[in-house]
Amino acid sequence: MSNHWFWNSIALLSIVWYSTITIYVAIRGSFDIRHMLDRLKETAGENGPPAE
Amino acid sequence: MPTQFSWAVDAPIVGLYLLATMFAGLAVRKYVGSVETFLVAGREMKVYLGIASLAATEFGIVTGMYTAQSGYKYGFSGAVPGMAQFIAMLLIGLTGFCIAPLRASGAITVPEMLERKFGQRIRWAAGVVIVLGGLLNMGVFLRVGGEFLVLSVGFNYDLLKWVMTILLVGVAVYTIMGGMLSVLITDFLQFVVMSVGLLAVTYLILYQIGWDKIVQTVETNYGEKGFNPIKHPDLGWAYVIFQLLLQSAATLTWQTTIARVLAAKDVKTGKQVYTRTSFFFVARFMIPAIWGIAALATLTAADLAALPPDMQKDPSLYAMPLFLGKFVPIGLSGLLIAAMLAADMSTDSSYMLTWASVIYNDIMAPFRKGAWSEKRGLLWNRMIVALIGVFLLIYGLWYPMKGDLWTYLGVTGTVYLASMSTLLIACCYWKGANDWGAAGAIIIGAIFPISFLVAEQMDSTKDWAAGVGPWVSGIAAYVGAAIAMVLGSILKWFVVGQTPEGQVTR
Repeated sequence: MSNHWFWNSIALLSIVWYSTITIYVAIRGSFDIRHMLDRLKETAGENGPPAE
Repeated sequence: MPTQFSWAVDAPIVGLYLLATMFAGLAVRKYVGSVETFLVAGREMKVYLGIASLAATEFGIVTGMYTAQSGYKYGFSGAVPGMAQFIAMLLIGLTGFCIAPLRASGAITVPEMLERKFGQRIRWAAGVVIVLGGLLNMGVFLRVGGEFLVLSVGFNYDLLKWVMTILLVGVAVYTIMGGMLSVLITDFLQFVVMSVGLLAVTYLILYQIGWDKIVQTVETNYGEKGFNPIKHPDLGWAYVIFQLLLQSAATLTWQTTIARVLAAKDVKTGKQVYTRTSFFFVARFMIPAIWGIAALATLTAADLAALPPDMQKDPSLYAMPLFLGKFVPIGLSGLLIAAMLAADMSTDSSYMLTWASVIYNDIMAPFRKGAWSEKRGLLWNRMIVALIGVFLLIYGLWYPMKGDLWTYLGVTGTVYLASMSTLLIACCYWKGANDWGAAGAIIIGAIFPISFLVAEQMDSTKDWAAGVGPWVSGIAAYVGAAIAMVLGSILKWFVVGQTPEGQVTR
């Protein structure tokens, strides 16, 4: 085990980093979605109805 | 094959996830009023949505399968490509190398940017080679996704084509209706579901099997070569160099990756998406590799004998889903299948859309005489996405996979990555580059990997292909494309009398 400090560290870092970023991105990403849809709604309002 | 999947408990979890995805994907279609919104979400994507979308797109069932296969076959040495991509993405994100001028140009695709330097013919040729490499690459996604679901849920293998069809139709419906906007919204939902599922299963493996046993399994089966790719006879320096070239080129020009930079709000956001997502690529290889090694640690010969006869010839690709089907308990099994479906749907939808964008924006550009209305442009984009879906279904059923899945993906990706990365770097940073060099790079960059793929399939040349190996033929494509760019450009200076600054002197 002690011979494989590199892979032990990479595995630990991967799991800790991924667990943290999942929670963080889940929260901040939802604000980004709201902002994006608001902006697109404004743009659609300026340009008239969609082409569908 | 018996699995732990319960139709009473797990199936409703999967059904709930599918309903939520379809609802979210279809709900935003009302915002799609222009081709730009359809292809790059109106360039309104911010950093955290970009991270979720890039991570979800770049992890599909196919990713889980080939990275687990690498872990099963090569131990931890199989996780090296993730580190190569982490280094490439971090450096490119920090410096803005190529991606800053690309985003600043306002182009929708890489070939559109290349036209400004090399002309319309090169844009068209670049579009063709990108679509050829990209579609060959994603051609196996649907089949591999279907095989994972069949093995982990415990369906009869004869149902594979129906599982593939249902998977495709589910993805195609919201991608066709909502384009990049639906892809971004569903990617976000899929990122959350996928990450929770991946982490939950990994924690369970570490709790029940233990890290010590994972490491011991690699030591017992592979010894030092399972920890050091240089010592591995099937990998070695050629493998590491090829991975560094491949991952750098993919970070610069892989259409689904670069689409996040192009959809970003501005250059700074694009760079941040790359920098902050970079470490995900280590986890993307490491976590499924742990699953693959866990399969190696626990599956017995009797377990592998339960696979269909075709799969028993080389069970490395199928060991992970077989292991998960037996190991993951009821309840968590539903979350796992929802997570892997999430991973697969986000990948398939994004791949279908971004390759459709190249077909519409670049290959069809010379045929779009006069300005097309937004309505007509949207209709064509939607038809192209649908046709790509049909291609996926036919190719997935027909193509016989030989060798490693990751090797196949690396070789088919190189068909365009070698030349497009060379063209993009030359376009951004070499004043003397011209269309002769670009044409040479496109031809040379495609010849090596396509020749290798053909040679690998033919009885008369398959031994030769095995002798050369995918890593050497891949490195040759990158080096050859760069040399062709330099020599072709210099040749034009002399033949046409064009100076390195682009002025014609005679």
